[in-house]
Amino acid sequence: MSPKIIIVIVLIVIVAIVLGGSLFTVDEKEQAIVTQLGKYVRTVSEPGLGFKVPFLQKVHKFEDRVLEYDAAAAPIITSDKKHLVIDNYARWRIVEPLKLYQTVRDEAGAQARLDDIVFSEIREELARHTLTEIVSVNREAIMEKVHKQCDNKAREYGVEVMDVRIKRADLPAEVAHSVYARMKAERQRIAKKYRSEGEEEAVKIRAATDKEKTIMLADSYRDAEKLKGEGDAEAIKIYAEAFEKDPEFYAFVRTLKAYEKSLRRDTTIILSSDSELFQYLSPPTK
Amino acid sequence: MMARIDYDSKWEGREIRLPFGPDFKFNLAWVKWIIPAAVVVWLLSGIYIVQPDEQGVVRRFGKAVKVTQPGPNYHLPQPIEKVDKVKVKKVRRIEIGFRTVSTGQPARYRFMPEESLMLTGDEQIVDAQIIVQYLVREPEKFLFNVRDLEAERGALMDAAEVALRQVVGQRPIDDVLITEKLQIEIDIRELLQRIIDRYDSGVKVVEVKLQTVRPPQEVAAAFSDVVSAKEDKERLVKEADGYREDLLPKARGRAASIIRGAEAYKAERVKHAQGDAEKFLAVLKEYEKAKDVTRKRLYLETMEQILPGIRKFVIDPGAGGNLLQFLPLEEGGAK
Repeated sequence: MSPKIIIVIVLIVIVAIVLGGSLFTVDEKEQAIVTQLGKYVRTVSEPGLGFKVPFLQKVHKFEDRVLEYDAAAAPIITSDKKHLVIDNYARWRIVEPLKLYQTVRDEAGAQARLDDIVFSEIREELARHTLTEIVSVNREAIMEKVHKQCDNKAREYGVEVMDVRIKRADLPAEVAHSVYARMKAERQRIAKKYRSEGEEEAVKIRAATDKEKTIMLADSYRDAEKLKGEGDAEAIKIYAEAFEKDPEFYAFVRTLKAYEKSLRRDTTIILSSDSELFQYLSPPTK
Repeated sequence: MMARIDYDSKWEGREIRLPFGPDFKFNLAWVKWIIPAAVVVWLLSGIYIVQPDEQGVVRRFGKAVKVTQPGPNYHLPQPIEKVDKVKVKKVRRIEIGFRTVSTGQPARYRFMPEESLMLTGDEQIVDAQIIVQYLVREPEKFLFNVRDLEAERGALMDAAEVALRQVVGQRPIDDVLITEKLQIEIDIRELLQRIIDRYDSGVKVVEVKLQTVRPPQEVAAAFSDVVSAKEDKERLVKEADGYREDLLPKARGRAASIIRGAEAYKAERVKHAQGDAEKFLAVLKEYEKAKDVTRKRLYLETMEQILPGIRKFVIDPGAGGNLLQFLPLEEGGAK
């Protein structure tokens, strides 16, 4: 029994070793190349179970996911001579693991190359644009251009650059202070504008009000005087019509009334005794 | 495979000692059950439950083979197959410009000015913070396509920051602070989706919300003064309106009273005239009947009215020509 068992064990061990050496898995997140004694055999880009010649062939695995590249923030100078601190990143992927393996060996090597490529491309491209273009007008177009150039250069390392983007484009601290000063001035200007606009409108409203008031009163004065005139005219007409009937009698009556009004208590008059009133005072001469 | 090797070595050890022949047989019979039992346990280890808000992604030898739905599921045991469960119903979120430190009452936040301070289109600086909410749409892509998707400063955060800054950078500060918030949220969402679609990340951005958007602290006072200036303006206008509303009704009243006064004057004048005329005509009518007598009477009646109240001197014209010679009399006499 025991030799049989030993044979079984030995067989099992051998099978295990051979299988272990010839089977390999490639995960969804990975891709691999197979080399035979240092010589490239094939690329495994599909995940799953794979076979190789045990001992002779070797599997090198590489990432098959989108990878990050995050550069440290660096100062650049724009074409209008302004300083900007640019913090950019790139996303990249290994598309030809063989090339990558041959040229830079592994991911870390690729990162180092990307560092050179991306930084120099960005610096070069941004130096051709003004700050306004970079920050606002066509950042996307500029970065698309940088991306294309980086991608072209990275291809020789088996790397596809998927995009290059400016995460932050900030002004250096000392420039930021002058921006704040400018912002403050700008706001003060706006605040002043609002206040004087308020005063302007208020003065306009008051003036319009005063004007309306004056016109209104003038209108009423005009209408009132007209009315008074009409009244006077009518009165004159009425008097005239009545008094014309006997002007002499009117004069008489009106004179009497005038006496009544003008001869008051402290008036002194000297009357002739032969006036009409006193004609009976002296003895009749006849 | 390992289990079998273990069993073998154990069994081997027993044989070397060998003193208990029958025991050994018994042991072997017992050990025989270990293999099927281990196989059963191993096979059963592939049972797993996918929760209602999850989906499972099964990988066979590393290759994704199927997506499983909520409920009990089975995968071939390790190392042949394995499963990753992804919460596809969960709304995930990232924060740019701040981090929630604790969600208690009140929530505490840590602000990250290096993330939230950015240049606007008119080269000013604004402090803007956003929340991005997203869902996993395709768990397979979500799991396997991007290495640092959800990490701090990973692909999603980077992309969100880019989108935020790019969108804000295209607008003047006043649009960002006041008028265009809604449009900014939409633009950021679209740009962010476009960026992460490029990585084939299997993620769908549901919503981008601007949290705090404010001027930087250094200039906050100047900005709030603009607000109070706006209020001052309104106040000044309101005050002037008040002046107007006070003055015009009064003026209207005065104008009306002037007109009414004039109308009254007119009516008075006319009616007085009519009265006087009526009176005159009435008197005239009678007067014409007896002119001399009436004339005399009217004269005398008037004199009667006047003379009692006044000082008078009656002089006989025959007594002398010059009236002035009597003047001293006035002093001494008839008081």
